[in-house]
Amino acid sequence: MTGGPDRHPLRESRCNDMQPGDGRAAGWKRIAPSFSPGAIDSTGGPGLDSAPSGGSVLRRTAYLLLLAPGLLFADEVHLQGGAVFSGRIVEQTEAMVTVEIGDGVVGVPMSRVESIVKGRSPLDEYDERATRLKAEDADGWRSLGRWASQQGLSAQSRQAYQKVLDIAPDDPAARGALGFVLLDGRWMTEEDSFRARGYVKVHGEWMTRSEAQMEESAATSEQARQDAEQRANQAEADKILAESRAEKAEERAQEAEQTDVWNQTPVYWGGWGYGVTGWPSTADVRWKTGYQPARTQPVTPSPR
Amino acid sequence: MSRGGGVPLRGGLMSFAMTLFATALAAPATPSPTVDEIVARYVAGLGGQETIRSIRTLREKGRITAGPQREAVVTRERKRPSSTRFEFTVQGVTSVFVSNGHRGWKMSPLEGDLEPQPLPDQVVAEAAEQADIEGPLVDWKAKGHQVELAGREAVDSRDAYKVKLTLNSGAVRYEYLDVDSFIRVRSDSTRQLRGHAVQIETTFGDHRMTGGVLFPHLIEVAASGRPQHTRIVVDSIEINPPLSDARFTMSTAGE
Repeated sequence: MTGGPDRHPLRESRCNDMQPGDGRAAGWKRIAPSFSPGAIDSTGGPGLDSAPSGGSVLRRTAYLLLLAPGLLFADEVHLQGGAVFSGRIVEQTEAMVTVEIGDGVVGVPMSRVESIVKGRSPLDEYDERATRLKAEDADGWRSLGRWASQQGLSAQSRQAYQKVLDIAPDDPAARGALGFVLLDGRWMTEEDSFRARGYVKVHGEWMTRSEAQMEESAATSEQARQDAEQRANQAEADKILAESRAEKAEERAQEAEQTDVWNQTPVYWGGWGYGVTGWPSTADVRWKTGYQPARTQPVTPSPR
Repeated sequence: MSRGGGVPLRGGLMSFAMTLFATALAAPATPSPTVDEIVARYVAGLGGQETIRSIRTLREKGRITAGPQREAVVTRERKRPSSTRFEFTVQGVTSVFVSNGHRGWKMSPLEGDLEPQPLPDQVVAEAAEQADIEGPLVDWKAKGHQVELAGREAVDSRDAYKVKLTLNSGAVRYEYLDVDSFIRVRSDSTRQLRGHAVQIETTFGDHRMTGGVLFPHLIEVAASGRPQHTRIVVDSIEINPPLSDARFTMSTAGE
């Protein structure tokens, strides 16, 4: 197996915590964006960044094709069940494959892996384009930010738009992409703009005061209903109350955990898509192993 | 021709013309179509029932934006009669949600799970509604839904027929069909959230034909009293791609 200890600087990945068959992601760790990619041959052959050593011509040709400029394939780790991690494979052992996804590294137990497809990653494309851009090329960085956003590479998009703001602090596209809103001639965060427009935040969601009152009213009604149920059977009231408290505590704990994962931004699908109830943010992902990702300072400037 | 005989003729013509004028005044300028006629025009505009029914499977790919720095790549697959698969990719991580109409599963690495988990019943019901490839208005009687005309309303400054649609599940939606093109431009539904009803308004735009069927390529979703909107841009649509049944099921531990 290639990708051994001497091949990559990311030896500190947390995959060693995992046991095969755990069925969980082993860990999530932020890394420097300037990481130089290298691929690991899932077949046990040489990595893409090493000289070929007698592999078949066909296989070498295939690798060359995959590396051809403009092709946007990623290293893809397909799991049994259909989930996919797409990025750069930075390490692979018999027990674990570790993938850099552009906002951290994820260790996946090989016992859950169905297949690994080697290829060129959009992260590679991003790095190449970023390297070619001059620091003062606002148009280029803006274009790259938009491209990264369309690839779903939020972290890279953020970096590129931040470069635009370094050059042009009031650039509307970059400001907007980074979450700023122009209100009454002043840039402010999206949250501040909601607050300024009279919205309030309830259960992690911004809404009008009247909607918030309905939320509170519904919550009060639900509480009253539960209270009535409790009173209906006085003999078991204490027991029910105790259970209710325990359940609520558990619900609150679960809700807190869920809130961490889904970044407090609900998603309404309107009949196009389902299952995702809130907007996920890799910055807020907490894997069920209990590992908390290192938090970095968001790459957004102070509002002006 | 005698002049005497001409008078009654002119009188008769005048009388006939006045009758016509009175009739025209009494009748509306354009008689309002029945709901059956409206829905029929809508189905014809979609591409016709036969063409629509020829779609057995469908794959749509696009992007969803829910605000700054909240963009994901999405893929939705549907297969008759009741299967759906939804993939959601953000920062290189693809979560998968599938349903065969009766049961549903998810595999969502962003929630820490690398093994399939069952979907809640409510989500399975949502998925089942989306499995109806052509939408509930097409063949609504056979599907056990009810429709009635609920008037006309302006949608983005254009008049639209407002059609009340009661699904066989009992859920009520209001579908807005443009009075000129009969294209569906908006759909209002209600979702229970934390114990109370939230109105969801979905608007459709950028309609284009694929395989002889009209699809919206821009879908915007807003919830009542909330400032944040969801915007879905459909980049590509494949008609009848090969989709095996295995794509719409998962096995959880112990199954």
